[in-house]
Amino acid sequence: MEPTKNFNTTPGMAVYGTPSFETAPALALAGENFDDFKAPLFLAWQINSVCNLGCLHCCEEAGHRTPGEMTREQIFNFLRQVRELGIPYVAISGGEPLLHPDFLEVAGFIREAGISLKVETNGEFIDNRLVERFAALDFRSVQISLDGATSATHEVLRLKGDWKKSHTAVKNLVKKGVTTEIVFVPTSFNIHEVGPAIDMAYNLGCYGFYTGKIMRIGRAALNWDKLNPTEEQYKAFFRILDEKTKQYENKMKVYYYPYDVIEELKYRLQKPSASLLVVPNGNTKLIGPLPFICGNVKEQPLAEVWERYKKSWREPKVIKFTKRVIKDPNLLAESNKWQNVFETR
Amino acid sequence: MEFKKHVQVRKEKFGMVIFETLKEKVFVTNPTGAEIVERLKDKKTPDTIIAELAEQYGADAGAIAEDVNCFINNLVRQEVLAK
Repeated sequence: MEPTKNFNTTPGMAVYGTPSFETAPALALAGENFDDFKAPLFLAWQINSVCNLGCLHCCEEAGHRTPGEMTREQIFNFLRQVRELGIPYVAISGGEPLLHPDFLEVAGFIREAGISLKVETNGEFIDNRLVERFAALDFRSVQISLDGATSATHEVLRLKGDWKKSHTAVKNLVKKGVTTEIVFVPTSFNIHEVGPAIDMAYNLGCYGFYTGKIMRIGRAALNWDKLNPTEEQYKAFFRILDEKTKQYENKMKVYYYPYDVIEELKYRLQKPSASLLVVPNGNTKLIGPLPFICGNVKEQPLAEVWERYKKSWREPKVIKFTKRVIKDPNLLAESNKWQNVFETR
Repeated sequence: MEFKKHVQVRKEKFGMVIFETLKEKVFVTNPTGAEIVERLKDKKTPDTIIAELAEQYGADAGAIAEDVNCFINNLVRQEVLAK
């Protein structure tokens, strides 16, 4: 009996919000690969596509309602399966998830099932009543997008956005003991403010600050030439992140993923993550930057969608297209033009 | 002795997966590790776990104790289990 022999830790997370893991190369174990798992470990769920903002860098092109969004009945049918499969961790985003009419009931269901829940929001609708509810629901965290340490910088990217509302939401959540994180997407408009933004997060009492290179998908792809920082800007950005990581060590988690979306795709082609990305109409994508869907949770049981996900990563058309994207990142602009892996055209 | 607040565990064919969802770290164990984790989930003490496993495997409790304590210490060191 040697329980410790096969007990391995795996740092590594948060490639674009999805947890991942690696084991030490010398120890090839069951549990090392995504298809060793009977169900996903993580579910990223875009509950809606409606949003009050029109961010230049939105990776979802959010704003309006997607045709065929899940009904209330479909949502709870889906959630019962999430519970039955034992998926341990769910992140709800949108659109703006707090605009979903069933949001609080959904969050309540997930928490009652004992599942860890992260909510990704612009924070503008978090009033005192919601702060109380969030605290009672004991989320894993609330992650608020703040793309600057000042309203001018934040609002130039987040059209119709109100920095003060988001900032106040962070302050009030922290005050109430809710684990709160800030996410910052660097662009040529705001990259210079990353240092002050990290200081701001710390001063507000945040648990963590998340950032990484902007992804060339969705509306960000359409505005790429305006948004993409220069190499020099990125060099300064990562230098500041290194400094701030050291400065706030053991005080606040400063997390940044140093690679871009192409590096991520190269890695995922070899090691897909044990996670699913469900979009508002129930379609399940292989990964954000690729257009492939492997199923729909409205039409197939979640367990079947998971099996289809595992199979999809071995499909020649997925492998071929991913390799094409790696060679030609312009193809990332196709990421929201969904293609079903198992349908022939 | 209990798992920390944001820790989730799930049984798998290969053993157990332990997911520290706040730090977003994933750990896996073999089936023997899973036996220990299941008992820890049930809030059993190390002594109880050792006794139960010794009986189940018909093995020497001393040898099992060494493995179990080492495994538990590893969980504590990884900050998934609170003593």
